[in-house]
Amino acid sequence: MKLLLVEDNERVATFVSKGLVEAGHTVDRADNGRDGMYLAASGPYDAIVMDRMLPGGIDGLGIIEALRKTGNRTPILIVSALSDVDERIRGLKSGGDDYLVKPFAFGELLARLDALLRRAQDAHGETMLVAGDMTIDLLSHKVTRGGKVLNLQPREFKLLTYLMRHANQVVTRTMLLENVWDYHFDPQTNVIDVHVSKLRQKIDLPGAPQLLRTVRNAGYMLSTDN
Amino acid sequence: MLSRFVRFSAVNTALCYGAASILVLAMFAGPLWYAWTSTIAEGRTETLVDDADRLTNLFAAQGAGQTATAIGTQVGGQPLGIGRIVVLADPALNVLAGNLPHWPHVTIVDGGMQVVTLHINDRSFRVALLSRRLPGGYRLLVGNNVDHIERLGTLALYGLIGCAGTFLIIAVIGGMVVRYAMLARVHVINQTTAAIVEGDLSRRLPPLAHQDELEMLTQTVNGMLDQIEQLVHGVRHASNAIAHDLRTPLAELRYRLEELALLRPDPEHTYTEIDGAIADVDQVLAIFNALLRLAEIDSGARRAGFTAMDVARVAVEVVEFYQPLVELHDVTLTLATSGRLATHGDPLLLAQAISNLIENAVKYAPRGSTIAVSASARGGQQIALEVADQGPGIADAEKPKVTARFYRSDASRGTPGVGLGLSLVASVAKLHHGTLELGDNTPTGLRVTLLLAGTAEGRQSVLA
Repeated sequence: MKLLLVEDNERVATFVSKGLVEAGHTVDRADNGRDGMYLAASGPYDAIVMDRMLPGGIDGLGIIEALRKTGNRTPILIVSALSDVDERIRGLKSGGDDYLVKPFAFGELLARLDALLRRAQDAHGETMLVAGDMTIDLLSHKVTRGGKVLNLQPREFKLLTYLMRHANQVVTRTMLLENVWDYHFDPQTNVIDVHVSKLRQKIDLPGAPQLLRTVRNAGYMLSTDN
Repeated sequence: MLSRFVRFSAVNTALCYGAASILVLAMFAGPLWYAWTSTIAEGRTETLVDDADRLTNLFAAQGAGQTATAIGTQVGGQPLGIGRIVVLADPALNVLAGNLPHWPHVTIVDGGMQVVTLHINDRSFRVALLSRRLPGGYRLLVGNNVDHIERLGTLALYGLIGCAGTFLIIAVIGGMVVRYAMLARVHVINQTTAAIVEGDLSRRLPPLAHQDELEMLTQTVNGMLDQIEQLVHGVRHASNAIAHDLRTPLAELRYRLEELALLRPDPEHTYTEIDGAIADVDQVLAIFNALLRLAEIDSGARRAGFTAMDVARVAVEVVEFYQPLVELHDVTLTLATSGRLATHGDPLLLAQAISNLIENAVKYAPRGSTIAVSASARGGQQIALEVADQGPGIADAEKPKVTARFYRSDASRGTPGVGLGLSLVASVAKLHHGTLELGDNTPTGLRVTLLLAGTAEGRQSVLA
């Protein structure tokens, strides 16, 4: 995918850029607001990673607002050292699609970026999700695997649906916490892991290929390749 | 200097009262004065006109001679200038009869009343005169000595002026007295405050003798100083705790990296150490983030995001969230609710608070025990959120300390966590204008109760 990275800190920019290239994307860089605005507007990019505090007359939020005003709907992931809830809300309100606090783990950035890219591509209004031999009927809330109906609790269903929507992508614990439970804090314990583990027991029955994988140091993935 | 003096509110008030008093005095005395003088003048005029008419008629009927005789009878024996004055003069202004030695040297206007000063035999008298021209050019003068009236009037005026002056003096002196008294008390406050600013937070304003507004202010300021002293001590303690708790992982990090630099092990080992280093940094960041969150909550800014919410619902969701984890530890998590519990607050913060309490409970709950969560209504529209475990509990002596930042009891050293969990719960309670209570569970364990104020939405029965 073609990505734009607007970040004024050289070390962060290099780190992120290298990682993204390694993951198979092409990356354009800007280190100030003016250049960032110019590149973002001329585009087109599949997604933008935007730092908030930028030199050059215009800051990250300003660029995003300007882009949205012109009808530009490119997915934008905001990165910022400003971690207050209010700042997060400000970022999302001005048109950003996701908000990541610095310093972040690269895996987190990559997972969220992939989620944004996937979201942009997905058709909306689908009623069925399919991954391998597992199907979810979103209307009847029925989950079947290999023809057999699986019995899931409401929260397990929500968790599985999220993983299915991001099939073959890494989903971090934070993403799960925010999207499945709507919580924005870090539990001290590994409670998310336990939820995923319980879900896995229900869907990855012995004998069937394992769909729900743990990705070391990153999170989880519903994977259809064996 | 004067302007500085007048700026004091006490002096201003006193002067205003003084001016108001003088105004009232004027409003009282003015009409009275006017009524008095005009009544007297009218009365006098009437009498004199009567007298003048009588003598004029007599003159017209019986001539100058008879008139002179009548006048002589009327005022003959009277001392000069006292009481009634009647004078008949010929056209040449020679006095024919009456009690003045000669016609007055002042200009006499015919017809109307005038008050003039007469000088007779080295004495002066104030008289009100009425003058008539009689047929043949004769002149008639009828008047009254008004010395006593005027003296009375002057006395009254002096009295009023004296009154006004007294009001003014009382106002000024009163103002000065109050000012000095107030300044003396303010000076005491200033001294104490200066000492406090210098750093002696233990000082308090001395209680004053009488219970008035300044005393109320003193008490409020002392209360504020108590609070500030507590906060400053809290900050000092927190700084020490922070220093220790941040230094530990940072020191770890440093040792790790320095070891790598010195020993230069093989890549496999190096990358393992690097992973460890990242974990150390994440630990430090977690502490920073938790502290920032606490600061944000304590600042009260989060109140702007308060919304109408159901405490019971939040409890249900958090308990459901922790069920799988608790099962793994072979512990039972129960929830007791009594219907919708409406309040005005931040659902996410309350979720985090309950979450912290449950995580703490899980840490200390022995296998097979129960953690009981309850959300119930208490009297006075209060809502009580309770988490009770069956672990070792907290000794009474330690209970007041545990909500301090970074406090970790000896029992908890070595377990994960940085000691900010209960601090957060206490801060969230305070933000919601509530309190945190620590009690004992029976037979053993800790019972943590979060008390909040509910709103009047009422207790509808079915949970959403």
